[in-house]
Amino acid sequence: MKTSFFQFLKDIFKELFSNKINFVFMFLALTISLVTLNTIYSLGLSAKKQVMDYLANLQFGKDAMFIVAGGGRIIGLTTTRRDTLKLEDVEEIKKLDFVKLASPISIGTLEVSYKGVAEKLKVEGVLPNYVFANNWYPKVGRFINEKDLKTMAKVCVVGADIPKKFNIKNILGEKIKIAGQYFKVIGVLESKPFFGHHRWDKRIFIPLTTAQRRVFNKDYIEGVKLLFRKGTDIKIAEKKIKEILRKRHKLFGIEPDDFRIITPELAISIFTKTMRTINVFLLAIALISLTISGVIIMNLMYANIEEKAPVIALRIALGADPRKIIKHYLIMSFFIAIISGIVGWILSIFLMQIISFFTPLKTFFSWKVFIFSLSFATFTSITFTLMPAIRASKIEPAILLKTL
Amino acid sequence: MVKKLVILKNITKTYYTGKVAYQVLKGISLEVEEGEFLAIMGASGSGKSTLLNIIGLLDKPDSGIYIFDGQEVNQLTKKELAYLRNRKIGFVFQAFYLVPWATALENVLLPLLYRGKINKEDEKKAVELLKRLRLEKRINAKPNELSGGEQQRVAIARALITNPKLLLADEPTGNLDSKSSQEVMNIFKELNENGITIIMVTHDPEIADFAKKIKIIKDGTFIKE
Ligand SMILES: Nc1ncnc2c1ncn2[C@@H]1O[C@H](COP(=O)(O)OP(=O)(O)OP(=O)(O)O)[C@@H](O)[C@H]1O
Ligand SMILES: [Mg+2]
Repeated sequence: MKTSFFQFLKDIFKELFSNKINFVFMFLALTISLVTLNTIYSLGLSAKKQVMDYLANLQFGKDAMFIVAGGGRIIGLTTTRRDTLKLEDVEEIKKLDFVKLASPISIGTLEVSYKGVAEKLKVEGVLPNYVFANNWYPKVGRFINEKDLKTMAKVCVVGADIPKKFNIKNILGEKIKIAGQYFKVIGVLESKPFFGHHRWDKRIFIPLTTAQRRVFNKDYIEGVKLLFRKGTDIKIAEKKIKEILRKRHKLFGIEPDDFRIITPELAISIFTKTMRTINVFLLAIALISLTISGVIIMNLMYANIEEKAPVIALRIALGADPRKIIKHYLIMSFFIAIISGIVGWILSIFLMQIISFFTPLKTFFSWKVFIFSLSFATFTSITFTLMPAIRASKIEPAILLKTL
Repeated sequence: MVKKLVILKNITKTYYTGKVAYQVLKGISLEVEEGEFLAIMGASGSGKSTLLNIIGLLDKPDSGIYIFDGQEVNQLTKKELAYLRNRKIGFVFQAFYLVPWATALENVLLPLLYRGKINKEDEKKAVELLKRLRLEKRINAKPNELSGGEQQRVAIARALITNPKLLLADEPTGNLDSKSSQEVMNIFKELNENGITIIMVTHDPEIADFAKKIKIIKDGTFIKE
């Protein structure tokens, strides 16, 4: 059995290489569209990974969740009240045994000024645990502590861009004006990578109590970040928290939630939504190019079969049944697919390198792209060889005895 | 009693070119016994190749009965016909039809490729056959490196590798010079003496003389002898 299969393959390869131009064009047609397709695919994977890394950097990995006040749409205007999320709700949620940490936030955009320079900036009232909740620590000075909280101290910790923004050399101990009141700067945070609109380094943090009583004058909060214990089922957690909040906010029946629960998955899906729209478009282009490659392969296969008709007729005359002939050409197309799949994959890696050189996207290695490349190559090549292969199997061996 | 290998009864075959019908075979009947060496002659276009295609299970008649080696073959599928050809029939063509990218040895082994097994024995046998046909120095040569006579001898080796009961040859010497032709015919004669049944088409009377029996086609039937 072994020898015969080996001879069978040998026969296929020799036939394939007997017309090198034909082979090279089939190979090129497939490889070019595979390079495009692979690159698009790995760019998508790379972007997704970057978003994940970004979220992980914010302690928004697997075991985290964000609850935002106000129901309705994920992005855009809320359709419900947004003043119902309270610190008491947070206390209640903290009692759940899988909740490791809860970090409430009261946020607003306020005028911040220093020596005549003024700017509207995001100011967040937070608890000392904010640093752990977001994996974000002071570079110099310290963060807000329990004492600041108790005394409703007028102190603030600023993002890494703030000193430059207000042109302050030694910011520690300086007083900056937030909404008309002076706050002493006690710390500067490390720089955080930003993504989209979230300019973390331009934020200012003050004690939550100070924010609620002395700045915003409100008893509700805008959101709370939760960290869970390892292995928490996020679906169950989401369900339990939802129950608690709905009960506490007296929402029954079909009344909509007046809060939104943002899971890392949801966050990623928001981030990648735009990406996906672009991808769908590029994918369509790539698929069209694959179809074109397929048609080219089909035509070249037809040409090959026409050219080799006497040999095919001979094989049939000598006892190859129709299925064996079909198998012969499908194996041939599979071989082309493997070669193109591998070469297309390698070239796409190089292309990624070049792209990463000119764009913020990082190169990204994944065997997924390899599998993707091979499957698409195989699918295209085999699909478009099927018809020519069937035609080959129908060649009449009787043509061998026709006068030349 | 000698067994009949080929029995044709009232075979007809019509070709259509566009709407014009042309009946090439008009009720051919033929019986060939095992061990026979039959030459079929006739003018060009008289239907010799058409008949040989039918005998070789490469084509089907429009009507009539064909019993090959005791089996009615009219209703067989393509796969069953392929199997019978592979096991029982050897072909030698005027144009040789060697696979251009395969060596002489690989060409000889080709029919075994479709049986699912080629072992060392088979390879030894192929080499033996090539030796018997005085091609021992050309075993690894490609067809384009061989002379016409050599190519035809490779083709004969290929036809013999399966130990066929029936050897069919359509103008086997048509593309050969007279020396090579003589050589090929001597091989045929020897094969026939060793028991292989041969049906050969030719329009060369000298070649036909090597056969034990000659039949002539005219107007779609055999001329009565
Ligand atoms: N597939 C076909 N379609 C139409 N006509 C055909 C076909 N095959 C053969 N013919 C015609 O049938 C007739 C017989 O052809 P065939 O090849 O059997 O003749 P032949 O006796 O072998 O001739 P030659 O000595 O030239 O080889 C010829 O007129 C030929 O043109
Ligand atoms: Mg003929």
